[in-house]
Amino acid sequence: RVMPVRWSRYNPSYLEPEVKKESYQKPLEELTDEEREQMELKAVRPIKAAPPTLSSSVFSDPMISKFTNMMMKSGNKVLARNLMSQTLETIKRKQLEKYHKAPENEKETIECNPYVIFHQALKNCQPIIGLSNITKGGKTYQVPVPLTDNRKRFLAMKWLITECRENKHRRTMMPEKLSQELLLAFNNEGPVIKKKHVLHKMAEANRAYAHFRWW
Amino acid sequence: QLDHGCALHTAARDGLSSVSTQDVPAERPRAVFHTSESDPAKHTEQHEGRLYNIPLEEVKAVFPHGLPYRFQQQIRTFNEARVMVRRPALELLAYLKGSNLAHPAVRYVIYGERGTGKTMTLCHVVHYCSRQGWLVLHIPDAHLWVKNCKELLQSSYNRDRLDQPLQASGWLRNFKTSNERFLQEIKTQKKYTWGKRESTEEGRPLGEVVEQGLARVRSASDAVGVVLREIKQQSHRGSFRLLVAVDGVNALWGQTTLRKEDKSPVSPEELTLVHNLRKMVRNDWSGGAIVTTLSQTGSLFKPSSAYTPHELLGKEGFDALDPFVPIPVANYSPREFESCYGYYLERKWLQHEKAHTEDGKAELQFLSGSNPRQLDRLAGPL
Repeated sequence: RVMPVRWSRYNPSYLEPEVKKESYQKPLEELTDEEREQMELKAVRPIKAAPPTLSSSVFSDPMISKFTNMMMKSGNKVLARNLMSQTLETIKRKQLEKYHKAPENEKETIECNPYVIFHQALKNCQPIIGLSNITKGGKTYQVPVPLTDNRKRFLAMKWLITECRENKHRRTMMPEKLSQELLLAFNNEGPVIKKKHVLHKMAEANRAYAHFRWW
Repeated sequence: QLDHGCALHTAARDGLSSVSTQDVPAERPRAVFHTSESDPAKHTEQHEGRLYNIPLEEVKAVFPHGLPYRFQQQIRTFNEARVMVRRPALELLAYLKGSNLAHPAVRYVIYGERGTGKTMTLCHVVHYCSRQGWLVLHIPDAHLWVKNCKELLQSSYNRDRLDQPLQASGWLRNFKTSNERFLQEIKTQKKYTWGKRESTEEGRPLGEVVEQGLARVRSASDAVGVVLREIKQQSHRGSFRLLVAVDGVNALWGQTTLRKEDKSPVSPEELTLVHNLRKMVRNDWSGGAIVTTLSQTGSLFKPSSAYTPHELLGKEGFDALDPFVPIPVANYSPREFESCYGYYLERKWLQHEKAHTEDGKAELQFLSGSNPRQLDRLAGPL
């Protein structure tokens, strides 16, 4: 078990930890003045504890870690991470099999990198505009509202995970279900993309209430 | 069937720098870590660290069971079966080539830490022997016979023992696919009665015994016993050479998780299959060799840090296997690691952009500790 060492409230004098290897390998002469100041500051100020998800590995990806955290249930990060790696492996295997069976001219169109597929699928699932409930004069209206980037990413990941958990056969494993959904979303097909389109249509239908928004 | 003794092309024997070429002119030359020598008999130290190809039809004929699951998945994804030639396997092959078949069978025990390649070494040796025309008795995992059995029947031959029809019939089916030729040649030497109306006469080919075991699943374990007995008795004549390849031999002398109907635990001697296999692994016959592997991953009631023969076999097993040749298998050497990494890159298995860089390679080497299984599991999602 990993006991939490990082506090949630730090004194403002604490600085963030620097994880990238390249910043420590630069020789002294190449540093600019700001960076020299930063180095001197680090010598005197205390530094916050690094969170367990922060890694200096070249293979770490913040989007993948976010997705794994959302898939996690009751703190079982080991299981969530294994499921994520199995999903990426399943996607890679499916795409490689298709790649090796395809004729020469189609080989360039088939994307085999699971990370590229994951990022593209998430981007395709992100809604552009959302709806929010605004109460005016006793009635609640669904008002079309712009979404921040964080909210869009969160909605895309949430839809993917709920779709896999609820609308599939009980006995299929999560990596299989997820890889299927991600491949469909990569090609702009599948139930999650449909859900996004439904949301867009509702927002378009409720255009008249757009002026209820005050922010 | 396998055409052993066919004339194979010879690989370009050379040092580290040059490239070995395929004999098919349409393919471009493969890289240094491949070798086009697909006959294990011709593998020497020069081929160490290189990967050789087994044609897919041979894989289906020689290995109906016995290859690890992840390797089978890899064969399906890459459409080819590439096995690395490593030092323990070369050592074993040298011993087998120089062994005197008139002497009693020598026992070889392949041991090592988890995930270092013991099963793959065994498969390499099995491939060599089947190419040379030996009769191969390959038990893929002895642990499968001492745990998770759905049906346990009381044996009709011996009141005290218990039969396992499912496992026995499964093994007989795979044995049939791998050794068709010998089943016609070897004849039974005694009359065997299977029940009131069925019996096999003396002098009938062994194939009939196997068919009997597959048709009447209740007597499948007895059929297995008969097959093992016949093969053992006839091996000293010299008409065929016998290789007994057992993976996870420590299952034969440990404990089982099976229980009888009155909930009392079953010890391994009370299972017909295990009893017959123990007789096979004894070195009282000549005309072949016994190659076994220890395995902690499937073992029952053994700590996960145990990997030496004494810890895994226990006192009983060690005494039973006592004069054996131990063959340790270690993690990848730097050269073997380079070879494996290069193969994954070439087959587009490592798709992450950073995996192609030096940093990524150093990280993979550090995280896996040059352990073949860890490298495979790490390279999966990348």
